[in-house]
Amino acid sequence: MSSTKSIDFATLSLKDALDLAVLIEEEARERYEEFADQMETHHTPEAASFFRFMAGNEEKHRAALAARRREHFGEAPSSVTRAMIFDVEAPDYDEARAFMTLRAALNAALRSEEKAHAFFVAALPQLKNADVHALFDELRSEEVEHQELVRKQLAQAPPDPDLPADDFSDEPVGQ
Amino acid sequence: MINDLVIGMAGSGGDGIVSAGESLISACAAMGYHAMMTKSFGSQIRGGESSCRVRLAAGPVLNPGGALDVAVALNWEDFLKFGAELPVDGDTLVLYEEKTGVAPDALPLVGVEPAEALAVPMADMARTATGSDKGKSSVVLGLLAGYFGIGREAIVAGIRKKFAKKDERLVEANEKAFALGVEYAEAHPLKKPRRVEPAVKSGPRMLTDGNDICAAAAIFAGCDFFSGYPITPSTEVMQFFTRETWKYGGAVLQAEDEIAGIGAALGASFGGKKAMTATSGPGMSLKTEIMGLASITELPLVIVNVQRGGPSTGMPTKPEQSDLFQAVFSSHGDVVRPVLAPTCVSDTFDVTVEAFNIAEYYQTPVVVLSDQEIAQRKEVIDLIDTSRFTLVERLRPDAAELASYERFRLTASGISPVSHPGMKGGNYVGAGIEHNEHGDPTASGRIHQRMNEKRIHKFDRLRKRDDLYRVEGDASAPLALVSWGSCAGVCREALALATAQGLRVKLLVPYLLYPVNEGVYRRFFATVQAGLVVEQSFLGQLYRVLRMVLDVPPGLKSFSRSGANPFHPAEIVRELHDHALGLQQRKSEARQPRE
Amino acid sequence: MNLIPSLTPKDFKSDLKPIWCPGCGDFGVLQAIYRALAAIGRPPHEIAFISGIGCSSRIPGYTTAYGFNSVHGRALPIAQGLKLARPELLVLAAGGDGDGFSIGGGHVPHAIRRNDDITYIVMDNQTYGLTKGQLSPTSPKGLHTVTSAYGSLENPVNPLMYVLAYGASFVAQGTPADMPGLAAVIEEAIRFPGFAFVNVQSPCVTYGEEGQQIKAHKAVMKHLEDLGHNPGNRIEALDKAQSYGQALLTGVFYRDPDPPPTLGALVHERQQRLMAGAAPRARILDMFVQH
Repeated sequence: MSSTKSIDFATLSLKDALDLAVLIEEEARERYEEFADQMETHHTPEAASFFRFMAGNEEKHRAALAARRREHFGEAPSSVTRAMIFDVEAPDYDEARAFMTLRAALNAALRSEEKAHAFFVAALPQLKNADVHALFDELRSEEVEHQELVRKQLAQAPPDPDLPADDFSDEPVGQ
Repeated sequence: MINDLVIGMAGSGGDGIVSAGESLISACAAMGYHAMMTKSFGSQIRGGESSCRVRLAAGPVLNPGGALDVAVALNWEDFLKFGAELPVDGDTLVLYEEKTGVAPDALPLVGVEPAEALAVPMADMARTATGSDKGKSSVVLGLLAGYFGIGREAIVAGIRKKFAKKDERLVEANEKAFALGVEYAEAHPLKKPRRVEPAVKSGPRMLTDGNDICAAAAIFAGCDFFSGYPITPSTEVMQFFTRETWKYGGAVLQAEDEIAGIGAALGASFGGKKAMTATSGPGMSLKTEIMGLASITELPLVIVNVQRGGPSTGMPTKPEQSDLFQAVFSSHGDVVRPVLAPTCVSDTFDVTVEAFNIAEYYQTPVVVLSDQEIAQRKEVIDLIDTSRFTLVERLRPDAAELASYERFRLTASGISPVSHPGMKGGNYVGAGIEHNEHGDPTASGRIHQRMNEKRIHKFDRLRKRDDLYRVEGDASAPLALVSWGSCAGVCREALALATAQGLRVKLLVPYLLYPVNEGVYRRFFATVQAGLVVEQSFLGQLYRVLRMVLDVPPGLKSFSRSGANPFHPAEIVRELHDHALGLQQRKSEARQPRE
Repeated sequence: MNLIPSLTPKDFKSDLKPIWCPGCGDFGVLQAIYRALAAIGRPPHEIAFISGIGCSSRIPGYTTAYGFNSVHGRALPIAQGLKLARPELLVLAAGGDGDGFSIGGGHVPHAIRRNDDITYIVMDNQTYGLTKGQLSPTSPKGLHTVTSAYGSLENPVNPLMYVLAYGASFVAQGTPADMPGLAAVIEEAIRFPGFAFVNVQSPCVTYGEEGQQIKAHKAVMKHLEDLGHNPGNRIEALDKAQSYGQALLTGVFYRDPDPPPTLGALVHERQQRLMAGAAPRARILDMFVQH
């Protein structure tokens, strides 16, 4: 569930919108990195490398948006903060599981893209600034593209095994 | 003229006999005597049987003494309840309440014929002075002043001081009772009069007890945080802090239980402050887990155990020395923990200051083993010159070290500079879990071995110190005493007596009980053919620890017994004579050749 | 006090990788704590995070603040000692429901009644995760676990009611299912002057029941604000707290509208008063000298 309670979309400027978009990607990148770390720590390599790949993607998006922001607004101080966004595009913590399959990881990413898409869709009618509207629309359609990419990968991903991994793994260990 | 007087007094709580003792010792201080006072009670909160012993002398008083020179009994039932704590022998003068109806030649003392027994109308004199038979304690003080020449003005001043905050009529009445006691003594002289040599005032004297001086020493050493839980006989340490620590910007917490008591102190130490807790045996048992936490997090912490009779609830008001095993060995895992023990009120100050120095330098919990006798006995002692003490602070990281700080960095000495919250760059997580140099959790055998090595070998330097041991007497004597805590005071007097009687004896008193400096003991035992480890515990705990750590001469025996069975100098001397005889029979030079 | 407005949540994230199982609620709690601390602006070296033993007690190591991962159930006394000795630090305490309400239960009322400025975060997952899923004091009656093979016969502790009844001036509950809400109550708790308690329904993904997981929270959780709750009324708060175990209510249960002075403030006042005219430490033995 994402939340953006403190954002006033009506008065959102282009600078703010770009900064927000950068933060959204940054949050997502950090989350995917966390997930990749968790997967590595828990010996779930396929999901780990997929999440690492997603972190890379989010970083690319972030960098591109940051470059645009710099182009338009230079180093002008930002008036938006991380406190304004929670899990907009970042997958919910609940999505990760030890021994999760590649399909499960892909589905987690898909849900994140859907979440992000929903965010932009909900924001669009509230936006008064034309430039911001254009930006958000662009980002919305990008989310659609990302979903397509993920779906394609899902199509190629091996099916989940019939028997869940948990049943093969050792009992958890008391510490 | 005598220069050492042991007075034992008993009555019921309502008689104020212990208050009399306090006035008396107060007077001793003012007069320039050295003195020591111990108290003993029944288990009622008030109104039970109560007694005190006051020993005064021109020179330092080393222990409460053996048989009484003077026994004062306000009633025989209560007096006898104290048994071996108030021993009467053939040299004792007995003063007792006439109203007990006992004839002087029919005292209820089995197998003992005191030197002289006087039935004194104490209650009557009290009634005359105060209108009731309260005030007997002041009558008793008058008798003592009259019979022994102990300074009257000083005692009167003591009475005034004690009742100062109360009704002026109380003061008058008690002064009158005192005067009547003096009059009686003058009108009824002893068959063999005894006067105490007047004291020479040679510098300022302090009157205090082990608990108060321990707390004062801690504050002097820079301790700014105390937390603990009430437990007899250590509570006074906490109480001192609750009165005084605020004045120095410190804080004190009476915690909800023993564990919180040591926990809060450890928290303060983590915060960079010198911190202390105090308790007795049962509290130590509860504190054990956090003592281990202090060891593995390598944080300084002083833990005072005022030992009492054990095990479990044991005997809360009696001294014993049966917590040595616990101090050394308890808390699971491989741990070395320094254990120090004072021997009297005066060196409780020194030992407590040293405990903080050792805790800070080695970044470790340190146990101070006091006992109920030292903690709660009042002593008149020379004022301690605080300027002769050096205070040690924990090693803190400098700017270079903070640039890439590793809390548990392996160093040659095993001691790593320690930061504390608030120090920029020194951020670390202290944890009970085994950790690497950075402080991160580890389960690696290799790192664990290395860390144990660090934590244990950092004490090598402490182990090599020989300044925390005192050897007295003939350095090459074949007869030896080893003793610690309050028993050391008894042995010091026994050493003097035995030496005066022609025996060649020496005494070793360890102040640092653990880790053991084997060299000190080896050198001490090199000439020893027979000896005693004198201590107050059924198991003879120091004796067993020494045997665990080093080879002791076969002639070294444990001379130990359970608490509430105090040692007297005379009996130690008798033991030494027996051993000397044994040695002589084995043809060695235990006795000095007669001139 | 040294506040740094440019601190970000990442400034509070340490390099140590959590051993928590993926999906553990504690990841959300950790993120919420990063957010809260960044908003507050005290630098990491002025923050001390004390914990006991348990999965959730590993949390100090995952922040860049000073940490002390102590022994089971004893975070509160250690935190109080630290705060009394170093009142200028920001002190947090954390642990699980077993650490806090079983072995540590005896320390809770005293930390509350002393009211020093400490924030206590309990990650409540109704189990003992670190030791493989035993019953915990907040486990519901009838729960089957490795130590209740036939179902628990015991009624659970209600941590919210306990803490409210002990007199805490700030009591809140959160869940990682509502990240903004969780970060908000943690921030508010830290800012609150006095002892502040936050219970977090932080499910155990390995030993917890399906119905206890974050997805389930999302379906059932209700915000106290939305229910028109008045957090200035302790009795109302106790009434709402009764539903612990049946309903998941989030937000602030109770916030004292007129918080009493903290222990630290009272101690400071006493020290100031008594330090005036005190003798130096070197002369402390003078009080024993007999004249």
